[in-house]
Amino acid sequence: MEQYKLKQNIFPMKYFYTIVILLIFGFQNLAIAQQRIVVTGTVIDGSSKSKETIPGVSVTSGGSSLGITDNNGKFRVTVANNASLTFSYVGYESITVKVNNRTNISVTMGVDNKTLKEVTVTAGYQTKTKTLMTGSAVTISGKDIQGQPASDVMSLLQGKVAGLNIQNNTGAPGFRGSVTIRGISNINVSGSGSSSFLTPTSPLFVIDGVPVDDNTDYSYGFQQAGPGVSPASQIPPEDVEDITVLKDAAATALYGSRGAYGVILITTKRGNSKVPVVRYSGSAFMSTVPQLRSVIGGKGERLLRVDQILRYDTSYNHAIDLINSTPFLSDSLNAYYNNSTDWQSYFYRPTFNQNHNLNISGGDTQFNYKVALGIYDEKGIQQNTGYSRYNLNMNMIYAPSRKFKLEGQLNNSIQNQQTGSGNGLQNAGIAKGGSSSSLLPAPSLYSSVDAVLGALTTDNDNKVLNTTATLNGEYEIVPNLKLGSYLSYTGKSSTKDNFSPAALNANQAEYYTYNDRATTLYNRNQLSYVYSLKEAGEDAHNFSVFAFSELRASFFKSDAILNDRVVNDQLRGPLTNMTDYLTSKGGTIGYTDLRSIAFAGAFSYNYKQKYVIDLNYRVDGLSTNGPNAGYKKNPAIAVKWNFDREEFLSNLKFLDYGDIRLSYGSNITPNGNIYQAYGKYYGGGRYNNSNTVISDLEFLPNLTLEPTKATTYNAGFDLGIFNGKFTLSMDAYYKQTDNIFREKNLSVANSFEKIGSTEISNVNYGWEFQATSRPLNATSPFKLALSANLAINREILAALPDGLREQIYYDTALGQDTYYRLGINSLSNYLYNTKGVYSTNAQVPVDPLTGLPYRVGTNGRLNYFKAGDPIFTDLDGNYVLNEYDRVIAGNSQPQITGGFTSLFQYKNWSLEVNTSFTLKRDILNNSLAAQFARFNSPLGTDKGIGGLVPLSEYSYWAAPGDMAMYGNPLDFVRAKLLDPYRSNQTLFQEDGSYFKLNSVKVYYMFNQKFTQKYGMNRVSVNLTASNLGFITRYSGPNPENVTSLGRDDSGGYPISKQFALGLNIEF
Amino acid sequence: MMKNKINLLRICLILVMGSIALSACKKNLPDERLSIANDSQYTQYLYQPVLGRNTLFTNNFQYGNSSRPLDFKIVNMRTFNGEPAPELTNNYPVTVWKTAYDGTEKSLAEIEAKRTTENHPLFEVRPHSGEFMMWAAANSNMVKAQPDSGYVFDVEMSNSGGRKYYQNFRLRPLRERPYEPSNLDPITGQGTSVSVNPTALFITGERGQLLNTRDDVQVLFKKTGNGNSLTFKFADTLSNPIDPNKFAATDWANLVHGFNMVKDAGKVKYEVAYPIPCSAYPTKYTTLSGDQASVVFRFNRQAFGNIQQKCFLAFNFNIYQKGDWEITFWFKRDKPKFDND
Repeated sequence: MEQYKLKQNIFPMKYFYTIVILLIFGFQNLAIAQQRIVVTGTVIDGSSKSKETIPGVSVTSGGSSLGITDNNGKFRVTVANNASLTFSYVGYESITVKVNNRTNISVTMGVDNKTLKEVTVTAGYQTKTKTLMTGSAVTISGKDIQGQPASDVMSLLQGKVAGLNIQNNTGAPGFRGSVTIRGISNINVSGSGSSSFLTPTSPLFVIDGVPVDDNTDYSYGFQQAGPGVSPASQIPPEDVEDITVLKDAAATALYGSRGAYGVILITTKRGNSKVPVVRYSGSAFMSTVPQLRSVIGGKGERLLRVDQILRYDTSYNHAIDLINSTPFLSDSLNAYYNNSTDWQSYFYRPTFNQNHNLNISGGDTQFNYKVALGIYDEKGIQQNTGYSRYNLNMNMIYAPSRKFKLEGQLNNSIQNQQTGSGNGLQNAGIAKGGSSSSLLPAPSLYSSVDAVLGALTTDNDNKVLNTTATLNGEYEIVPNLKLGSYLSYTGKSSTKDNFSPAALNANQAEYYTYNDRATTLYNRNQLSYVYSLKEAGEDAHNFSVFAFSELRASFFKSDAILNDRVVNDQLRGPLTNMTDYLTSKGGTIGYTDLRSIAFAGAFSYNYKQKYVIDLNYRVDGLSTNGPNAGYKKNPAIAVKWNFDREEFLSNLKFLDYGDIRLSYGSNITPNGNIYQAYGKYYGGGRYNNSNTVISDLEFLPNLTLEPTKATTYNAGFDLGIFNGKFTLSMDAYYKQTDNIFREKNLSVANSFEKIGSTEISNVNYGWEFQATSRPLNATSPFKLALSANLAINREILAALPDGLREQIYYDTALGQDTYYRLGINSLSNYLYNTKGVYSTNAQVPVDPLTGLPYRVGTNGRLNYFKAGDPIFTDLDGNYVLNEYDRVIAGNSQPQITGGFTSLFQYKNWSLEVNTSFTLKRDILNNSLAAQFARFNSPLGTDKGIGGLVPLSEYSYWAAPGDMAMYGNPLDFVRAKLLDPYRSNQTLFQEDGSYFKLNSVKVYYMFNQKFTQKYGMNRVSVNLTASNLGFITRYSGPNPENVTSLGRDDSGGYPISKQFALGLNIEF
Repeated sequence: MMKNKINLLRICLILVMGSIALSACKKNLPDERLSIANDSQYTQYLYQPVLGRNTLFTNNFQYGNSSRPLDFKIVNMRTFNGEPAPELTNNYPVTVWKTAYDGTEKSLAEIEAKRTTENHPLFEVRPHSGEFMMWAAANSNMVKAQPDSGYVFDVEMSNSGGRKYYQNFRLRPLRERPYEPSNLDPITGQGTSVSVNPTALFITGERGQLLNTRDDVQVLFKKTGNGNSLTFKFADTLSNPIDPNKFAATDWANLVHGFNMVKDAGKVKYEVAYPIPCSAYPTKYTTLSGDQASVVFRFNRQAFGNIQQKCFLAFNFNIYQKGDWEITFWFKRDKPKFDND
């Protein structure tokens, strides 16, 4: 009787907890004496008229995998004689059949019309069916990102998820671009000029349940001390089962203390076949050198320079004198200057690279395993750069009884990277060397262009070792009440060695060595309970409670030493021959020790799955919080109405599903460090014969240092119609990020210099649309799947420290200041407003009082604007151009992003096209500004002699009356005064909108009958071309290859086109 | 079916409500406006322009942290006693430049074509930069000049972020000094001497001494009519005219930016545009900075020891008032020696 009741209670629960129900079946099976039999059978596609079999259908029983069907749709499993077998396949409705002592079962699977409902989503450490998922989440299957070799899996998601803005802004192997979910959450800019960058606010990556923070510890190349390998790049794309992007607070609520910037869940593949399956997938790919700048070579360059001086110097005699006293112009017969060197050719090369992955998996219900072995090796298109990754990822699941499950996982990776003489993201040396004058001799030890030697002979070797071990145990104490514990340890160690030869460093070679160690210990203990109340024989009121405690301890320490007295180029050690401690320039450069603890609870209720309400609550304590800030409480509430389940819509046959979601919630992310909250003391010298302890006056302790808090409101709408032919998902959101951290300088009247303040707020609101369509009939031999997504994001600055309404971040290098003003987008460029070029002298405005034309600076004769000069707006109307004439112009952040994907299949062939787009983004073309500015110094500057681009490519002013876009670049004498090609002007702020053809993939699957002769189950080959091109109005080479602040610098690492030939074999 | 429609309507209603809720959130965001900062201020409160000239006061305002563009307005212009000052608030015809004067004009008409007459208050603030300007049309017959206490006024600075008032600026115009260098007292307008001195001089006197600028040569300005001419005359110790042709090496054609030169034994006369120089734009007729017109009279002679002595008389000056002006160089203590030794 007891058994019967249980069965009745539990059976309908399959709608939300598949695992639970199957465990209960298992419970029952245990109780009844069982006999194991071998069951064989065939799975048939019910939708095809010819009754074709379906290969690859997964067969499970009691929640554990038994295997998949073979190429002929046949399966063979060993199960208990009274077991239930569940057959599932993507796009088909799952079917559960009882064995009932049958040994041969034929199963017919129908096409799933309600795909969305059956898909489960794991968010907040719980797995739910999508019907019950109240948050905004998008899952991308691992299949969608296969076939394209990439050092970083995130780059493959570009244009696939609405609201996930990925800009692959560097082509450097092993580095990843910027990843933001729903707009920027931090407005702090550091650095200057083209190297200034926005404080990254990458989402939290949760790899197989282990949170990995990507915003700390030198994981960006800009922070030059460390190697700068992104933690997310440790997972090869081939080992990814699926990636889920959680966007609103209802979905991320339980990731509380680090989830303020959104959460991305990466799940790796599991073993699910009784027969061991060996899969190999590999590719050979070629990276090509993108189109380089055309330059004027040799005699042409010399003549241009000479002509320029003769035409524009103050007087003819002075010009002759200048030329004659400049050897590289006048001494044209000197072999040193009589060259036509193609500098760029010394830096770039096409490369051939490879990528191999081996995946062995197998096992049954009680024990299954997966071992994935991967090698990725890519040489960068810039000399002396590259990235390689070796990884060994293993997992195993052991479930000796239905009530107990143990899952172990071990991920190891070794990543190796060379960044040449740059920092990876940028290579200023190559920018300088590559733009040298063609008159200079080719690179040699005696060449005047050091940058070449720097790029070619600098020895740079960065290694990252990463090990993650996780252990996950689950036990069902009483039916429906489950206890789980999760323990993970991550150890990471990185080294960076950089050797720079003596020829580059005043005859003493330089050796920089760095190492760091980061460990993270993570533990989560969770308890879950589900309960249902019946109404007319079916589950009507469903409750679930979930609670957990979370503990995280992370430690990071980095040390570096710079030895600038290396004996010679050959002997690169030991690092001891220093005159004293200070000159060793060594020491610990980074140290953090962070603890966080959290308690969280989730309560979920639904009525017949029609009305769903989720309540989440999380309490976080962080060691970096100020002592008065206390524990942070993050509530979240979400409701969902699955209106397709309403009676009154039951006669709408075309409606597959439809729902409306509303959610509110908040998340936090830690700020600052413990010293900014508590202050810092250090031991001083002896005074009065006793030791002293000195308070560090850099930071005033901020006792209420708060973590950054993101509060999100989300309204969503999902719709699926015509048997899966069309699905649509829309979201509108409002995300407010408060307590953004910024170091604030204190008045000099204080003893302390700075305080870590959290007074900045910004708001992102926007709309997201994601649609898929399978327009062709399911029975057609042609299959076409289209998907499109679009995200519109508006960002507004809402609060600045001390109640300020505006603030300027001053860029010391290029004057490209960033203007923060409340009420508009946070990161505005502050630029001189260029309105064209003065065609004639008469166009220059005249001061009616003094009769003087518009000018720059003092009343010198050359300071007045004239024909051929750019028209800068005189904002304050004083007829003098100065820094007060700049205007707020443009937004460096993209406002509209999205993409289209299409998959077309016919028999053995399939073609996949991925595209993405970014609209409404402003780019500062510093590269072009620098090219024009190089004409301003025909004699070269102290920084060297720059190469010249052919002017015929540009619309520039040459004679009075010309209507040109760019001013006269040749007037070099006045250029020193006017700076007509200053980079902080709107002339170089261009529309950075683009439409990008991300990749085109062609697959061919060999006939199985043919391949089976050679013992191979499935063989497919693919041809992939990636980064194929852009449709853009931007005049630079690549509108995506710009910094996070939208600055296109010639030092950026260009993104290469890649062509890959891939092979996938399954044994 | 009807019921379905109603329910669909209900769904739409919820969606609309949702979007309204979102736009309501937007209402709480700060609106975009400029800011007015406390550190924006005038650095100069006393203005003493010389009447009869265009005067521009620059570098008198610090923007501080206020956001641009700012709007400036003179308010409450009053005399020192607090009475209204219509002479400074009413519009008067003033000469304004339309096109830049650059010294290459070929005729008087061409210069005149570059300027025109507009009506302006005589004392204005530049609307976005806060600089003050006094037009040349202001004269001491209508405007209270020193030693009078002059005028008091306030300035309103505003932008979309608010407004701020700066109070009690003093405007104390000085009397006209129609030419520079001037022998007139700035306060009283009375001459303190009859003449001024040339800028530079390298001429040997008849008595064998090098002449100096302070005592030996005097420059006298004299307005003889209301025309458009400038005449240079030279006089010896007895005030007898010296023939300008004796300054044989002078570049007469480019001496001043004048036209229709008439040169006879007593004078050299040009038709010119006033003021001289027309603007501060540096031309070949001006000093390097363009602030003053520069004339150099030259002659060469064979000096003792068979060397060539390049003699010159240089004078930098301004004339602000239109008229028939005469500049006389009076060799007061010794005649220049033109002959060879």
